[in-house]
Amino acid sequence: MVEPLLTLRLFASLREEQGWSERTVPLGPAPLTAAALQQQLGLTRRDLRIAVNQRFVAADQLLRAGDEVAFLPPITGG
Amino acid sequence: MQPPSRLDLDLALCDRPFAPYPLLAQWSGGDWAAEAHFIGRMRGVGERGQDLQALEVEHYPGMTERMLEALAREEAARCGARRILLRHCVGQVAPGEAIVLLAVAAERRGQAIETCRRLLERLKHDAPFWKKEVGPAGQHWVRTNSGYEPSSGPLAPL
Repeated sequence: MVEPLLTLRLFASLREEQGWSERTVPLGPAPLTAAALQQQLGLTRRDLRIAVNQRFVAADQLLRAGDEVAFLPPITGG
Repeated sequence: MQPPSRLDLDLALCDRPFAPYPLLAQWSGGDWAAEAHFIGRMRGVGERGQDLQALEVEHYPGMTERMLEALAREEAARCGARRILLRHCVGQVAPGEAIVLLAVAAERRGQAIETCRRLLERLKHDAPFWKKEVGPAGQHWVRTNSGYEPSSGPLAPL
């Protein structure tokens, strides 16, 4: 059986602070929210937004196998 | 009967400097009488007042394009725009170079100007781009976008 996985991505200042940009982690059998994942990763910044599969989600979004989860610092484009 | 309203979108990211006026000249004209144009260029001074040599613009490939299209469709539908041209730089930008070009065509000026203004504000907050300032004194990520500051306050009635 293929192990259920999540792809994680960090950007900009968060990527530099953490020293990684992308990694794959196993998704366990217990329900996991985006906020709980953020806590597990030790991402303590309060100003992050979360995107799952390239769409903004609420912190209590439940993650599913194969999801791409991105943690985004405040946007500064335009 | 009115034909169904169509929306023409021409949205793209540019990974090298672009000249906004030739793009505008090619795009401008056509069926709609009102056009609003905005060009945003890189400032030579950073958010801490320091001199800058360059900006590095990072984005989230895939999500950025998706958000630009979603925001453009939403604001065009809200305000009544018919055509939108958008270019946004990614990668390295030098002072004075264009970072963003936004042009909106509509039947009436209010529709064109409102779409332009609202879409610009939306993309500054919801399209995943991040700017890093690079200068002789070092580099740092821009912390937050400035708010929209009309210089003259609300319009008085004529």
